[in-house]
Amino acid sequence: MFFIKIADITVQIHNVYPFVERFCKDYRVDPVENPDLIIGATTDEIVREVELEGATMPPEQAEGICLYRKICVQLPIKFQGFLMHCAVIEYEGVGYAFAAKSGTGKSTHIALWQKHFGNAVHIVNGDKPIMRFRKNQLYAYGTPWCGKEGFQTNTSVPMKAICFIERSETNQIRPIGPDEAVTRIFHQILTPSDLETVNSLFPLLDQTLREIPCYVLGCNISEEAAQVAYHGMNKI
Amino acid sequence: MKIKSGFVAREIAGEYVVVALGAASKIFNGIIKLNDTAKLIWDKLSLGWEKDAIVDAVLQEYETDRATVEADFDRFVDTLKGANILE
Repeated sequence: MFFIKIADITVQIHNVYPFVERFCKDYRVDPVENPDLIIGATTDEIVREVELEGATMPPEQAEGICLYRKICVQLPIKFQGFLMHCAVIEYEGVGYAFAAKSGTGKSTHIALWQKHFGNAVHIVNGDKPIMRFRKNQLYAYGTPWCGKEGFQTNTSVPMKAICFIERSETNQIRPIGPDEAVTRIFHQILTPSDLETVNSLFPLLDQTLREIPCYVLGCNISEEAAQVAYHGMNKI
Repeated sequence: MKIKSGFVAREIAGEYVVVALGAASKIFNGIIKLNDTAKLIWDKLSLGWEKDAIVDAVLQEYETDRATVEADFDRFVDTLKGANILE
């Protein structure tokens, strides 16, 4: 058993395998008396998770995924938050989220930002950040779960823009309205499974789409892609 | 013709979207976006209204002709049937 703090939420984790404790090392905290969440995965749940992943996943890794899902499904109702499948980087003190279908090249694109803008670009989370409203502002939080590259930082950043990436021969970016963004953002979140979650999650998505500008970036793998994205989202 | 249970339509940033909950999410996974007319048709279908009455209701709200509304209705219902949402 150990404690972590992610997205300003203290979580008491009852683990089966020691792996998950090492996996969460950047987020470990001293034991607290009243954690916000207490979670654990049963061996049955871990076995089911392995089956879901196609049986090639080691059980200790499946346990981690199980635990993260248990945290994330509780975010809308308890913490005004939600999991978003995207990569978030921090640059000049604000966060940019890049979302795309798997394999489109989110990781490649954020690597271009690092190449172009240098060490001033930090990866908050490469794949599965937690988004959370605090005092009426949307923040992205780093978490241990961040995709196979392992890019994450235990930090938070106020969100400036959400950018949906598509492959293209040339680089161009366009702002999109909520009519287009709503479908795109739904593909990147955990589908709510009950009415209570819908009633908590939808107002969060509503506020996200009203307050955070959304864009579609068509891009290739040249450094210019990062510049076009940055200029487009800063209206330069 | 009635919408199966487990579907909810909600507004997000001015857009109406439908999601499936619980058992319904096993037969439909994703979202459907509704425009104003589709939202009205959806709500009437949820109440178990029949085609003619729904078309009347749409005609009272929007300045258009019956043939257009009927065609819109049929297309929308086909989409819902294709997604296994109507029973």
